[in-house]
Amino acid sequence: MQQLNPSEISDLIKKRIDKLDVSSEAQNEGTVVSVSDGIIRIHGLADVMNGEMIEFPGGIYGMALNLEQDSVGAVVLGDYLGLKEGMTARCTGRILEVPVGNELLGRVVDTLGNPIDGKGELGTTETDAIEKVAPGVIWRQSVDQPMQTGYKAIDSMVPVGRGQRELIIGDRQTGKTAIAIDAIINQKNTGVKCVYVAIGQKQSTIAGIVRKLEEHGALDNTIIVAAGASDPAAMQYMAAYAGCTMGEYFRDRGEDALIVYDDLTKQAWAYRQTSLLLKRPPGREAYPGDVFYLHSRLLERAARVSVDYVEKFTNGEVKGKTGSLTALPIIETQGGDVSAFVPTNVISITDGQIFLETDLFNAGIRPAMNAGVSVSRVGGAAQSKIIKKLGGGIRLALAQYRELAAFSQFASDLDEATRKQLEHGQAVTELMKQKQFSPMSLAQMGLVLYTANEGFLEGIAINKILDFEAALLAYFASEHADLCKKIDESGAYNDDIAAEFKAGIEKFKSTQTW
Amino acid sequence: MAELSTVARPYTKAAFESALEQKSLDQWSEMLGLAAQAAQDEQVAELLRNPALAAEQKAGLILDVCADKLSEQGQNFVKILAENKRLPVLPEISALFERLKSEQQKSVDVEITSAFALTKEQQTKLAQALGTKLDREVNITSSKDASLIGGLVIRTDDLVIDGSVRGKLQKLAEALSS
Repeated sequence: MQQLNPSEISDLIKKRIDKLDVSSEAQNEGTVVSVSDGIIRIHGLADVMNGEMIEFPGGIYGMALNLEQDSVGAVVLGDYLGLKEGMTARCTGRILEVPVGNELLGRVVDTLGNPIDGKGELGTTETDAIEKVAPGVIWRQSVDQPMQTGYKAIDSMVPVGRGQRELIIGDRQTGKTAIAIDAIINQKNTGVKCVYVAIGQKQSTIAGIVRKLEEHGALDNTIIVAAGASDPAAMQYMAAYAGCTMGEYFRDRGEDALIVYDDLTKQAWAYRQTSLLLKRPPGREAYPGDVFYLHSRLLERAARVSVDYVEKFTNGEVKGKTGSLTALPIIETQGGDVSAFVPTNVISITDGQIFLETDLFNAGIRPAMNAGVSVSRVGGAAQSKIIKKLGGGIRLALAQYRELAAFSQFASDLDEATRKQLEHGQAVTELMKQKQFSPMSLAQMGLVLYTANEGFLEGIAINKILDFEAALLAYFASEHADLCKKIDESGAYNDDIAAEFKAGIEKFKSTQTW
Repeated sequence: MAELSTVARPYTKAAFESALEQKSLDQWSEMLGLAAQAAQDEQVAELLRNPALAAEQKAGLILDVCADKLSEQGQNFVKILAENKRLPVLPEISALFERLKSEQQKSVDVEITSAFALTKEQQTKLAQALGTKLDREVNITSSKDASLIGGLVIRTDDLVIDGSVRGKLQKLAEALSS
């Protein structure tokens, strides 16, 4: 016997039949003229709007993208193999919407918001348009709260604030996704809702990421929007907007959200394909003229909004809360070329970039961040007090080290001060290494930075530094748990804390081994 | 199809404006209709596609078929089309011309498909109702299609009003399966 679904209870069916509007409305109809590569040309449809959903027989939907004098160019959302020339196409009067809400957390959905994780229906009640205009200037507030990624190198040198757009850029295999995933994992106890948009990736990679998030307990506050490499190009380029709408739901309701676009290079490729098939004129690198707008309008929606905005949006239900959507777009460069079209565009749109390099990665420095060219334009204002106080020295030490390292290659014997500075730089470089899936808390980061700043690393062999760090962190976790808890909660830094750090480290160095 | 109407538009517009000036809309519509029919004829169409024939020969072909039904301007129009190798677009031009003409005369062709044959009374009632809705004089052509089960479908250009039982059942099916 066939199994009955829960939705097949006769009362429910009856209700749906009652609710159904069968009044005959005037509709706009057209005829499909050609179907090719997911692009459909339709004759007629004189009243169609740009971006409107178009209905084809059999419940297949498309979206109107090109409105021309005698025809409409549309992309099919889904399987276009069943469509034929001569079929009727109907206007729906709606623009593309996806489900939004808390029910999406912990789920994997496609671009249209259909669940693809086999966990049943979503149970969402609300939907929202995927293309929306970003909040205007008066509704915004400056970024002043930290979004901890859990990486000491990033949080100390290129801090990310809530509502910021920080680009992660680098060649393939430099650990771009790893940083983004760790940032998501680090949010599991902070109440920050996360959205991970996978664009043009292998299904196996997406499955691997879902499993990793699940293993680390971070899937429950994460929505995964997946448009795999085999999905139609239109779905791939729209996945970013769909994910953004799901993230905006939290922003507009006074919560904090983090969205990762992995990656926008492939999204631009998918958009290029769609545009070329729609016969839009190609420009530089064959991208259409509006590829800058493609990314700018997407990233502009990541913002910190004011109390007034949230109050107005929720009709006064949520009071006294600001909302934010932080974006971590990822761009993959080819051979380290950041001056290609899409990378320069996105660099100019975002509020800073984390630049990852193959050479550093291969030299074992992971995260392979180039501290010299990585910047954060607004994050400094959002750093927690302790990291701000202690992290400044790290950037300086590394900058001086780089300069000296290049210079000292020519000199055979160096004076004492230079040698010391070189050694310190080496030690700090070593200290900035961090394993994947091991995000650090504020207190741990503060302690490590303090150790480096105050010269406690002197005399420790370079290859022992990470062991020293691990042992020190374990020691503090057991001996100074109260202090760690206090720092994690408040992010504060004062002389008392510094004194306790100092005493603790000295005691550790004199009594423990590593 | 879409590309053809783009090509046909300037010719139609020129023909229509010249017809308006001379107040000979009906004559032009007749001429274009005739020429379009001639161009659609299988044998003629094949000749029109034949690259070995010169433009004058093709124009002569259409002119011969239409004989004395074409006015001087009509003949010139066909010659221009032949020169630009646009004779196969004639049917499209004729169709567009008819649309412009009905727009000019504030009338509209409406196609009504119903499950059962419509009585005269029903037709006039429908024509009146549609006339006020579309703000046009309505010319109805009706046909019968039993597969609609009940009700009727009204169609004019892009606009479709589906009041058939079949359409409603389809809506119901979609709502239940979504």
